[in-house]
Parts: sequence; structure tokens; C-alpha cells
Amino acid sequence: MAHTLPSSDQSSDQDKWDSGGLECKGQLLIKIVMRNRLTALVVDGDTTCWVLEQELLHSYGVQTLGVDNSRDAVDLIASDAEFNLIIIEKILPVLNGLEVTRQICEIGVHCKMLEVTACSGESERQAFLAIGVDVFIEKPLDPEHLVPILREVDGQ
Amino acid sequence: MDRNRLHNQVASMRRSLFDQGYLDDQFIQLEELQDDTNPNFVQEVVTLFYNDSTRLIQNIEQALNSRPIEFCKLDDYMHQFKGSSSSIGAKKVTNECTAFREYCNAENAEGCIRSFQQVKQEHAILKRKLEVYLQTVRQASQTA
Repeated sequence: MAHTLPSSDQSSDQDKWDSGGLECKGQLLIKIVMRNRLTALVVDGDTTCWVLEQELLHSYGVQTLGVDNSRDAVDLIASDAEFNLIIIEKILPVLNGLEVTRQICEIGVHCKMLEVTACSGESERQAFLAIGVDVFIEKPLDPEHLVPILREVDGQ
Repeated sequence: MDRNRLHNQVASMRRSLFDQGYLDDQFIQLEELQDDTNPNFVQEVVTLFYNDSTRLIQNIEQALNSRPIEFCKLDDYMHQFKGSSSSIGAKKVTNECTAFREYCNAENAEGCIRSFQQVKQEHAILKRKLEVYLQTVRQASQTA
């Protein structure tokens, strides 16, 4: 089980650790210490995935907001809600993931965007990357892919 | 049944689910996300999956019965099914979803219909096995 510590008041402890020492592997959940309280928006129409992805993020101390359709996602971003990370599924109610990603990017979002989807061909992968998705991950979202992204967003 | 025997039974059932290919490592991730603040997480997610996937199965059946068959719609439904089944570590179900999508991409209606029977079969088998396993886990935790 991953544990997180509050951020800056732990900096003296953090100084004692080497660059790789913050990380040790449990069975599957990679344990890391976050410096900051990150926030993430999870956009997925499938409730099982929506719950799981948020719980995985919670285990790393990430605060999440979940929406189950593209319209709510776009409205949220258009209302100036800010996140460190946005996770989007390709197949969504209302608009597909590609279109909602395009609209979110056009609004001018500056955060890490992850496309997390069941499967896709190379052309679709390239289409998402071309419109501004940073990382394309095949489901299920796992610590092996997530942790490096969290560490990067956390400035580690 | 005494505590040790129950715990041994849980371990044996769990091992069997992995050895026989019904579950993969993703299920371990579910177990690792369960803790004192979320003590029933695995059961809750499995229940959620079966509620969602039952609805998806109905949608797929309707789509397969419609004429002409809308393969794009079918593919979207199965994409979602595959996503949720892979997310709980339902290995055999996920594999059957992949096989179905291949028939769907080829617009092979008969292949889709046959493949869908396999999806439903694996879905039902896993449901029964998980119900028994999780019930045994609950019994074992009550004797802990």
C-alpha cells in the first residue's frame, strides 16, 4: 500500500534519502513520497474504471474529481477548474475522447494529459498525441506507468 | 470451520483463480488498494463491474439482434467491456473481448455472435467463482 507524507515540512527527511531511495516496490503498488498535493480529473464513462483509477490516484495522495461524460469535462475546464493531471478515456458519452481532448486543449489547459483506453490502433494513438495528449496508456492504468508521471508532475 | 482451515481455503481458492487464468496481476492491485479505510474495496469493485457489465451485455445483445448490425456501436460497447474487465484483472473475459473485437473489425456477424457466447460464458464462470471466493474471504475475516 502506498503512503504519502505532507509536503514541505518533510524536506529535511527527504534530504537524507538518495535520488532513488524514495521508491520501493511493494507487490504491485510502488511506494513513493509526494512533495505536493496533486489534483487530477478523471474522465471515464465506465464506472468500474472511474472508481479504480481514482482510488489508485488517491493511494498516492492525489485529490481527484471524476466525471463520466465529455460534456461535463469540457464545462469543468471551461469554468477555469485547474488540475495537475487529466486522464481521459477514448470512448465517452456525448463526445468521443479525441474530440473532448481537442476542446480541452483549445481552451488552453496546461497540465499533463493522459489517454487511458482499452485498446487502440497506432493511427488513433498518433491522433491523440498530435492534439496534445502527453501519454497514451492501454488500460488498466497501473503504477508502473502512473508513478513516473506523478513524479514528473510533482517535480521530482 | 476453524480459522486456519478457512484461511487455507481462501489461499487455495485464490491461487487457483490465478493458476487457472481467471485472474491476472491487476486483481492484486485491487487487493492492495483495500485497506482499513476501504475494507470492502475488492467486493465493491467486483459488484460494480458485474452491475456495469450486465448492462453492457444487454446492449451488445440488442446490437447483435439489430439489422443491419452496427459494428462501430458493437465495437464501442466491447471496447468499454474490455476496459472494465481488464481493470479488475478478469483475464479470460478480457481475452474473449479481444477475440470479439477482431470479428467486429472484420464485420463478421457470425463470428461476433459465436465469440459473444464465449464472452458471456467466461463472464458468468468468473462471477460464480468470485462470489464463492469473496464469500469465503468474508467468513475468514470474521473468524480472524
